[in-house]
Amino acid sequence: MRDWLGTTLRVSLPIAVAFALGFILFAATGYDVADVIDGLWQGAVAAPGSLEQSIRWAIPLAIVSLGIIITLRTGEFNIGAQGQLMLGGLGAVAIPLLFSDWPVYAVIPVAIVCGIIGGALWSGIAGALKVWFNSDEVINTLMLNFIAVLLIQWFTTGPFKDDSTRGENASTPRIDRDFRLSDGTGVSDELIVIVIVVAILAWIIIERTPFGLKSKLVGSSPKVAAWQGLQIKRIHIMTYLLAGGFAGLAGALEVLGPSGRLVTGATPTLGFTAIVVAIVGTLRVPGAILAALFFGGLQAAILFLPIVTNLPSSGLRIIEGLVALLITAQFIWRRRTRARAAEQSATNDDLDEG
Amino acid sequence: MKTATAVDADSVLRCEDLAVAYGDVQALHPTSLAFAPGKIHVLVGQNGAGKTSLARALAGIIQPQGGRFWIKGREIREGSVGLAREQGLDMVHQRFTLPPNFTVAEALELVSARKFAGSFFSLKGLRDAWRAELQAAEMDVSPQARIRDLPIETVQSLEIVRALASHAHFLILDEPTALLSPAGVERLFARLRQLRASGVTLLLILHKLREVMEIADTIAVLRDGRLVLPPTAVNGVSEQKLSDLIIGESAGDLAISGGDYARTEEDAAAINLALDGVSTRHSETEPALSDISLRVAAGEILGVAGVEGNGQRSLVDVLTGLMPAGAGRIKLLGNDVTGLQHHQRRSIGLRVVPFDRVAEGVSLALPLWENVTIWNAQKYRGSPWPWLRIKAMRKAARAALDAFDVQYDSLEQAAGSLSGGNMQRLILARELAEQPQVVIAAQPTRGLDFRATQYVWGVLRQLKRAGASILVVSSDLDELFNLCDRILVIRGGKLVGEYAPPFEMRAIGDDMIGALR
Repeated sequence: MRDWLGTTLRVSLPIAVAFALGFILFAATGYDVADVIDGLWQGAVAAPGSLEQSIRWAIPLAIVSLGIIITLRTGEFNIGAQGQLMLGGLGAVAIPLLFSDWPVYAVIPVAIVCGIIGGALWSGIAGALKVWFNSDEVINTLMLNFIAVLLIQWFTTGPFKDDSTRGENASTPRIDRDFRLSDGTGVSDELIVIVIVVAILAWIIIERTPFGLKSKLVGSSPKVAAWQGLQIKRIHIMTYLLAGGFAGLAGALEVLGPSGRLVTGATPTLGFTAIVVAIVGTLRVPGAILAALFFGGLQAAILFLPIVTNLPSSGLRIIEGLVALLITAQFIWRRRTRARAAEQSATNDDLDEG
Repeated sequence: MKTATAVDADSVLRCEDLAVAYGDVQALHPTSLAFAPGKIHVLVGQNGAGKTSLARALAGIIQPQGGRFWIKGREIREGSVGLAREQGLDMVHQRFTLPPNFTVAEALELVSARKFAGSFFSLKGLRDAWRAELQAAEMDVSPQARIRDLPIETVQSLEIVRALASHAHFLILDEPTALLSPAGVERLFARLRQLRASGVTLLLILHKLREVMEIADTIAVLRDGRLVLPPTAVNGVSEQKLSDLIIGESAGDLAISGGDYARTEEDAAAINLALDGVSTRHSETEPALSDISLRVAAGEILGVAGVEGNGQRSLVDVLTGLMPAGAGRIKLLGNDVTGLQHHQRRSIGLRVVPFDRVAEGVSLALPLWENVTIWNAQKYRGSPWPWLRIKAMRKAARAALDAFDVQYDSLEQAAGSLSGGNMQRLILARELAEQPQVVIAAQPTRGLDFRATQYVWGVLRQLKRAGASILVVSSDLDELFNLCDRILVIRGGKLVGEYAPPFEMRAIGDDMIGALR
């Protein structure tokens, strides 16, 4: 907390630069930047219902990013949150669809747990491949995203097909209103309480459990961890299960909350934006919550902006992409320079000894 | 300020007020000295005395913060490695710079200042050019061999060839003997004398007094970044005076105790650690272990001597459980631990000081207290709530660090900010704070200065007196002689000899390299 000011600066500078670059681009291509800024403000905060929309998007972003924090701290680059999220949605939507005669207090918890299990299993595949076959997690988690999309497509056009719609997006039938955690706005007391509880839980896991500290040691120096008897494979598996569990939970809340059904191709960027949220939040739980609110606002603005200006929503996606790019670059650069500095001082010292 | 030494007049290399700082740390205070041509100069001093900083500044690797220097009377400004090499000054580093996956010819061509091939060349032409150069240096190594397959001694010789190929006349060698066997040191020294005879000036950084007295023409001593003895002819300094100068105070109470051979009287002392016929597969860097049997009794320090790469690492790996044993049994405090993992062996009572404190010992980025406590964090779980009590962890870390005299400012500082000696103390604090019964110490004092070395030895001796069984793996025979009750020699993955005090340097040295007696 001592250097929160520095951290804030370090995080906000790339964001500011991203916006500046985006605005320059808009101005250069003939859009009215003042209009865009006003639209952003309206879409994220000021317009009626827009703050709600920002929070609606912040909720899944926050939950997914908590899992990503755990993987990044363990030194694993899991980019499969998107697929894990979908599998979580699948696990969750199955319960109210298959057991609609069950009481509400049974369906909702079971659906949430199934969502968590769905995400955890999907992520666990990548974890198992990594641990037992040392196969690269970036490739595996990425590929599993595509498989997840196809799987959802099959379910929504097969076993869980909704015959009432004729839209281009295949989806499951809507679940019973009683089983929903929120209406279409995606904000409700239940959801807010769940997010708060989950955030506290994540904080405890990360900062106050042997697993949390050990995973940090594994992430920062795996060799050192091995020499101290840490069970690295177990920690890795645990990491993936937890990360997938968080993503799966977000997927479950999505179908039980705002969406009310599982739609193929819904929220296609959420799992990726959550990675940026985790990094912008400096891999800490409170930071991730703040970052999730920010990116939730951006997401709300992206959906709002085309309504009030002539700027297509892809314009704001450019800004989002720039933020991701700059933050990631800065994150990796810092990691490297820090590692190099540490190595340097150790080497200097080593070489200086006679 | 000018140091008026006899060699000032016709010096091949001279510097005035050369100073080096890393951030706030003044590694080398303004220093003036000069080196006479055609001699072997030796620079000695403790850890952080500034030896390597001085050498690196001269070789153009780091920029000095002030001062001037001249090579053959020509002033060097804005030094760079290229410029230094152009002027005939070159440095052989403690860690070698030849890329491991290259062939000898490729590597030498890449790093040498003198290019034998142009921008386009045939591999054969390259090979032939360097083969001639290798032959001229009387080196029996194929230009097609991969660097990674060569023994350390050969790689070091290649570094020297590389420097000489670009007509270096002033060669700096940073701790050239650190990784060599006793016979290798003798060969190196013979080669250095040869170079001196051919007119090359040498500056060696050494830290074993015996080696210093053997090879040096002149000796200079640095202490705490200051020159306390300008280059002085070797017959003008006694070994005693030298060690006083290096340490800076009466070395009396720090002097080597001359071995602590008093075996515990109980002859039937419990065997805490036993290997019976243990074999492994070969690793990436070392031969397979074959049929290793050894016992370490309570209150005994057993040494394993050997030239690096002869199976020491595999031995420690198989003892700790980081590598599986292909055959044989390992017993730890009466338990058969052959199939157990490292964490299980730890819970029985095994502790390890790893080979490389930077890569294996501490996590440089994590704070001190985490480095000490994370490995058994579950111990600090609270009740009734199962989460960790951070205060208790910090307290335990502070107690352990203080007990082992680690110098630090804050428990939150990253372990990477510690000096080598303090880093090693941190590792000891973590591993030894609970008075373990079985300890494996791999190269426990490598790269440490005299005082830190004494400290580590003292800790190990104390543990031994408390009844612990300690296995020390080291390529430093002085260390083993000072510490051990028995010494085993490992060569090619086999135990080839066992020695009891009084230890004989020559016999063990020969055994290490497999020389015929």
